[in-house]
Amino acid sequence: MKKINPLGIAGVAGIVALVLPFVGSDYAVSFSIQLLIFLVLAYSWNLIGGYTGYTHFGQVSFFGIGAYVGSLLIFHWDVPWYLAAIVAGFAGAAFAIPLGGAMLRLKGPFFAIGMFGLTRVLEAFALGFDSITHGGTGIYLKPVSDLRPLYCVVAAVAAVMLLLTWKLDNSRLGLKLLAIREDENAAESLGIPTTRLKIGAFVASAIAPAVMGSLYAVYLGFIDPPTAFAPNIELTTIAMVLLGGMGTVLGPLCGAVVLSVVNEVLWANYPQIYLASVGVIILLAVLFMPRGIVSLGMKSGWLATGRPLFRRLAARAGQTS
Amino acid sequence: MSDTILAVENVCKRFAGRIALDQVSIDVARGSITGVIGPNGSGKSTLFNIIAGTLRPDEGSVLVDGRNITSATAAEICGLGVARTFQISRLFAEMTVLENLVAVARGIDDRAVIALALELLDFLEISGIADRWGSELSYGQRKLVEIARALMLQPRIMLLDEPFAGINPRLQNRIVEHLRTLCAKGITVFFIDHEMRIVLKECDLVYVLAEGRLIARGDTQTVRNDAKVLQAYF
Repeated sequence: MKKINPLGIAGVAGIVALVLPFVGSDYAVSFSIQLLIFLVLAYSWNLIGGYTGYTHFGQVSFFGIGAYVGSLLIFHWDVPWYLAAIVAGFAGAAFAIPLGGAMLRLKGPFFAIGMFGLTRVLEAFALGFDSITHGGTGIYLKPVSDLRPLYCVVAAVAAVMLLLTWKLDNSRLGLKLLAIREDENAAESLGIPTTRLKIGAFVASAIAPAVMGSLYAVYLGFIDPPTAFAPNIELTTIAMVLLGGMGTVLGPLCGAVVLSVVNEVLWANYPQIYLASVGVIILLAVLFMPRGIVSLGMKSGWLATGRPLFRRLAARAGQTS
Repeated sequence: MSDTILAVENVCKRFAGRIALDQVSIDVARGSITGVIGPNGSGKSTLFNIIAGTLRPDEGSVLVDGRNITSATAAEICGLGVARTFQISRLFAEMTVLENLVAVARGIDDRAVIALALELLDFLEISGIADRWGSELSYGQRKLVEIARALMLQPRIMLLDEPFAGINPRLQNRIVEHLRTLCAKGITVFFIDHEMRIVLKECDLVYVLAEGRLIARGDTQTVRNDAKVLQAYF
């Protein structure tokens, strides 16, 4: 059976994303911005939670930090929104470096809950220090008249994340991260510098969410602590990766598209039972597809198992030897 | 260069007050096959974990080629050419066999890494399972893949934790042949096992542990006839 190339699927998604702002309605563009923001969050979380195996409930911390850094830059200094988003990305990384060094000493549920606690501390900080953050009142930004430029930037970041994940998945670095996920002590015993790699993955997984936080604030034209550090953003992101397939190239893409569309359809048609329905879908997916939609593709033979680069290199080496 | 490639000097290790190793000293000669035997709970795996840097000794030191590695991390020790396998297979289950090997390789480009991995799979006669998932392998295949994975590190010393346990005699003989070949290439083999047929036939030197103490050392003939060994082991 001919296998589907993950980059082929990504290419189709890319073409749809390119065409959409020119042919889609304002609603379609607005919906797609939200989808793409979640896609970026899902790819970022996949780096540390999927590949490295350090699942956690604190990625929205970086999203919130980015949202506030970006909003404050725009609000006080009238910085262009795209520059504010870049600075927010740097802020996310700067915050993640010392945090990773401290938090990644924890493992399993301790790390997961520790990161969740951190988010709540940051939310309390944002509420309490109203001289800087405007507290519960929030920060209001000038509304964006045309969402299309914002859409293009978010789509570009999503494309970069997808390509980086594909590159990682086909690299020895990706295998080393997977080795940490599989058995960290064995990986360390076999010479893999686990601490350095874990912190690197953690920092890398913090940058794009901070950028997205800043862009989300611009998209909404407003940010306050419950919005910036919303547990719902965190849980939806994790659900997308779980649904699609953790530690895979296509998992976050499949999860984000399927869950966003299902969310939107249910919300539009059955608002009373929308949240419960989404919960049931996630529950069923985890019960019957614990390795996600992508694993179905692997089982049915549409998607290749193992990383294609190494298979190609092995095949070539086999031919020449 | 000294003939001793690995030296364990007066190592002690306690777990919650219980003595796991008590003043254990061991020398492993370069290019030799050296074995450690002892009843279950005698401290063999603790000794290996200390040498590999997974555990820190409470007292004593470990030297590789005269360099003190007692406080080095497991990854640093690995970088000095000490590679290991595990008593219970710890293959990366969600990777293929080839990926298991490639994941631990260092310092060379992808093509060279793949070539080395294929060469090792060929050497161990397991080329046919290169694309199989780690979780799909039989017990014996896992043992062989673990050896191949350790060899990916191009080690000077191989620490093998019970490489012959639970596998059939034919596969045991194959592994023995591979170990002899490795030795002939200058790799030092230091292993733990209960398989007396192999230990007493293949080792240049055997150490015997019982209740955390070293009770005998010597060539296979000496160990076979040692009264303390007979009492502790047979």
